[in-house]
Amino acid sequence: MAGAGRTDTRLVESETTETDAVAGVAVGLSAVLFALAVAALFERVSLTGSLFGVPTVTLLGGLLTALGVAVIAFGVGSRFGYVETNPDPSAGLIAGFGAAVPWVLIGGSVASQTLGLGVGVGAVAGVATGAVAFAASVLPREDLGSTVPLGALLGVTGLVFLTGVIGPTWVWELGWAQQAAVTAEFLIPVSTLFSALYGGWASAKAYGGFGARGRHMGAYVLVYVNALSIVAFLFILVAFVVVQGIPGLLNGTEFGFGTGPTTSVFGVSVALPVSVPFLMNGVALFNDFQGVLPAIVGTVWLVVGAVVLAVPLGVGAALFLTEYADRGRFTQVVEVATNGLWSTPSIVFGLFGFAFLIPRFGNGKSLLSGMITLGFMLLPLVVITSREAMLSVPDEYRDASAALGVSKWQTIRSVVLPAALPGVVTGVILGVGRIAGETAPILLTMAGGTFVPGSQTADVIGGFQFTSAPPFVANPELLQATSALPYQLYALITAGVGASSNVGNADEFRWATALVLLVVVLSFYAIGIATRYYFRRRLKHT
Amino acid sequence: MAQVTDSRSGRIRNAVGEQVRRTRRFVDETEPAALAIIAVMALSLFGALVGFLAVSDWTIVPFAAFLGSSAVGWVRYQEETAYVIALMMTVSTILILGLIVVFIFRESIPVIRYESATVFGITVPGIRMFIQPEWDAVSPPIRYSMVPMIHGTVMVTLIASAVAAPLGVSAALFLSEIAPATVREVVKPGVEILAGIPSIVYGFIGFTVLGPWASDQFQTTGQGSYLFVGIVVGLMALPTVVSVAEDALSSVPESMKSGSLAMGTTDWQTMTSITLPAAFSGVSAAVLLGVGRAIGETMAATVMLRGVPRLTEPLVNVFYGQETLTSIIARNYGEADGLQMDALFVAGVILFVTVLVISIGAQYIEWRMHERLGGEI
Amino acid sequence: MSENTTTTPQTQTAQTDADPSPTTTTGETVEQTRDEWTDYEFRGEAKMAVEDLDVHYGDDHALKGVSMEIPEESVTALIGPSGCGKSTYLRCLNRMNDRVSSARIDGSVKLDGREIYQDGVNLVELRKRVGMVFQSPNPFPKTIRENIAYGPKKHGDLDTGLLARLLNRSDADERDDLVERCLRDAALWDEVSDRLDDNALGLSGGQQQRLCIARCLSVDPEVILMDEPASALDPIATAKIEDLIDDLSEEYTVVIVTHNMQQAARISDQTAVFLTGGELVEYGDTDQVFENPHSERVEDYITGKFG
Repeated sequence: MAGAGRTDTRLVESETTETDAVAGVAVGLSAVLFALAVAALFERVSLTGSLFGVPTVTLLGGLLTALGVAVIAFGVGSRFGYVETNPDPSAGLIAGFGAAVPWVLIGGSVASQTLGLGVGVGAVAGVATGAVAFAASVLPREDLGSTVPLGALLGVTGLVFLTGVIGPTWVWELGWAQQAAVTAEFLIPVSTLFSALYGGWASAKAYGGFGARGRHMGAYVLVYVNALSIVAFLFILVAFVVVQGIPGLLNGTEFGFGTGPTTSVFGVSVALPVSVPFLMNGVALFNDFQGVLPAIVGTVWLVVGAVVLAVPLGVGAALFLTEYADRGRFTQVVEVATNGLWSTPSIVFGLFGFAFLIPRFGNGKSLLSGMITLGFMLLPLVVITSREAMLSVPDEYRDASAALGVSKWQTIRSVVLPAALPGVVTGVILGVGRIAGETAPILLTMAGGTFVPGSQTADVIGGFQFTSAPPFVANPELLQATSALPYQLYALITAGVGASSNVGNADEFRWATALVLLVVVLSFYAIGIATRYYFRRRLKHT
Repeated sequence: MAQVTDSRSGRIRNAVGEQVRRTRRFVDETEPAALAIIAVMALSLFGALVGFLAVSDWTIVPFAAFLGSSAVGWVRYQEETAYVIALMMTVSTILILGLIVVFIFRESIPVIRYESATVFGITVPGIRMFIQPEWDAVSPPIRYSMVPMIHGTVMVTLIASAVAAPLGVSAALFLSEIAPATVREVVKPGVEILAGIPSIVYGFIGFTVLGPWASDQFQTTGQGSYLFVGIVVGLMALPTVVSVAEDALSSVPESMKSGSLAMGTTDWQTMTSITLPAAFSGVSAAVLLGVGRAIGETMAATVMLRGVPRLTEPLVNVFYGQETLTSIIARNYGEADGLQMDALFVAGVILFVTVLVISIGAQYIEWRMHERLGGEI
Repeated sequence: MSENTTTTPQTQTAQTDADPSPTTTTGETVEQTRDEWTDYEFRGEAKMAVEDLDVHYGDDHALKGVSMEIPEESVTALIGPSGCGKSTYLRCLNRMNDRVSSARIDGSVKLDGREIYQDGVNLVELRKRVGMVFQSPNPFPKTIRENIAYGPKKHGDLDTGLLARLLNRSDADERDDLVERCLRDAALWDEVSDRLDDNALGLSGGQQQRLCIARCLSVDPEVILMDEPASALDPIATAKIEDLIDDLSEEYTVVIVTHNMQQAARISDQTAVFLTGGELVEYGDTDQVFENPHSERVEDYITGKFG
């Protein structure tokens, strides 16, 4: 038959072979090295100590050398036909540049520092070494080109560690006017990290048998490592803050009836069954345990104020842009303006509030100025997300309503707004999460002291008064400087150790503040994401 | 050329004419009473704005009038009132941008006058802030140079972009093209949460953990280095890059991707040869927006840097971190007054203009992408 | 192919006609599908052989136990009402359904006797040999030349990159020959030969679709799958595509999904009818299926009583 000649083994490939296993082991080895390098970087593994009875640096060097040898062996084996692969004629420019970069660094620093030939010669030597590595990657067939230069890199790095040329106490003085040096503690983990990535890339390519599939494998390994690292980073970050913050947060916490402060609910005094002084106290001389209650309340009021200002304004603007205005110059200008506002640095909003709002609200930092500044920051986000939500409402809805003879505003009110509501709500919640953690704008417009007494907790509702002189309504609470969680954390950091005498353990106090801030902000995000998930599921089911 | 300008002015005339015609139609079609209410609303709001700008205690009066007339309008002529209120809200959004421009520029004028210098025989206001690197607010000669801060911002932004751009684009590829649906459901909210971690928390961790560690590793005197501020700021800009780039990548039509896969290419080849080139503008816009974020990042830089406005020696010494445009504002607003405060506003103006240009550039690139892919999206 | 056991002689089907035929009862009884209606005997080789193919999308059973053999170098039309699973079936033949994460595929599909649903199948090789043309034209946002050269470049058969040019081993001439040959085969050369470096998105819909066919030919496939290739085109462009398919069948095995029965009757050698529920109801010579279908439902469908 016609296709018989091509009905070859290439359509169905044989099962895992020993050679695949070798390449697989090399990938695994890279993963181990990656993990060790990260552990060493975070000082979980001591470079001066030993692992499994072998000095750490020697172990790293041995593993790197082994990986390098395995990678080269695979490439050479493939070139001489011992291993069945499917290589391209060349490894390609990207692989060439990838291999050249570390060799430029190695060649340059060896020539200029180890041999002491000076910066000029070092640069030339670096470029020359890089060029050799580039040529060695690009000119031979892919199986050699993508293994030999990288394998040699691994081998050289490994041997340098093995032979103790770079040992745990190695230091390279940079000799700059502002004193700085590269130490082994930094260089060894970092070079191991990058070598492991290169090794993983090369061995994944080999595992895929080079060619298109090999490159696919190599790239996927790197992309997956990146994605995993980002998730791990997030997890470690949050976990770290939680672990550090918990002791301070729970300092003096009591459970049981009558332990908590009393509040009145519907006129009945109720004692909360739990007492968390950190969340329920301010700072005062005679407090057993100090807390950040004023800052929490300040943050809440800030958010409320910003939402009250920005949400109607933003939704209204989005409504006008999507429903009333024709697409043209005007909508374009507004779009550019909102996107410009969105990317304006927060500190610039702070400056603006300082110049524009403070002189207009009693010439001092005030809660009201902070609210308005944050409201301005929230506004573009509300406009953008509401617009997206309204644009995604299908035109058929509007047409159907208009065809029934319903006026435009009625259509908007009864069809467009309800349909867009989920998107708007989600956008607002996520936006609030963003501004609740902002420090820079309130720094200039509203911030109060470092340690705020509980008596200064803002009571906005109770603060309204009517006066006979214009502006007739006054609220001293709104016009007073107050604290908010992010500002409080900043103030605690900059206050240093000296000011900490009145809160006992200052470090605990700071970490606990950071934790409370993180919890407040992330709960906005959690609620926002959950809302979106909920609406999406409901949409799917109806 | 003449034709082009002709057609442009013609277009503008047409647009203006259309606007006038539409306004006239609106006036014709609307009841006089409703028109009156609308006029009262517009005038009273305008009055309130003027009062507010003039720092008048009487601002409340026109504002109350506005609220009152709006309430009447809402009850009697909801249709028209809703339209007018929505229009006013749109205008106020633009107005805010305008106010920001006016106020931060206005505040920076005195120091620009003070820092005038003569270059090639011409006196240029403000130029001395850019041709010498001295910042000294205390002992004469008082100098407010922006050079050290610009240097710092450039260093931090370069390092941050080197972190955020490759990692961000790679993560966006992962989310949009590679990850199975279940993994995406977990990782995507994760990236959003990463965006939500307050910058002061990053700064705090950087200050207490990274700072001492880095000064130990590199044997520097004191802590604070552009290298680590850059890395931290890069991680903070990462979510912006990821989410914008992911949007761009997923807007490449599925049919194009299937077309490539059906030719027998690997997923990776499809990504690098079809998806990424097709979404190239969107992805570069993402990187640009990430750069904008990095430039404007304040608190982490403020907390982690040394707060001494001077150039590092040598200029490439990333192991020392002095001050950036953002951090000098946040650090000095408290004790600053007079010219120094105005100098901080100059830093704000530089930041604002840079980031605005980047934002507009990114939007232009994205708009071009939509034009190019045409009806496919 | 003599060892092909599933090809049953037609005589056998006449003998198995023992069970009471449901078609004789009242209209409310659903007609039973019968294996012999889909046992199609043909001369020559079976290029692809499908056996008991079941496809589920989540809980949705999209294809039910389909078995059919596709003869070499001929045009096989798949017809049926919307949602009958004919496109799903087509996308199983080059495993494009693997892209749909909710899809579960059971059964066997063989290409030249080799199972394509098993571990270790090289999807790159499979899709090179089983090409596909989609419902709406999907040229890449590149030049016409790059569109054609895309597949061979990615498979390493052509190298015209920067490096190859620097090393003076660029295949630019081979590429231009290939581009011309494919465009001629797809009857597009005369229309675009003077603008090969223009963006392919600037072509008209019909031209774009022929470009996609040319692109598909560039990797020298053995089977070409077409998913309603003319549904988005005007009658003149459709006629051109139909002529092209006719020419292609001399060298390639063409499987085409269409909802246009006249089109199926005009261009195909054999026709398979899928009906709602994902069943293959009838498969045979195109003339026989259209003029004298075994199944009453197929007859109703073809004469336009339903579907």
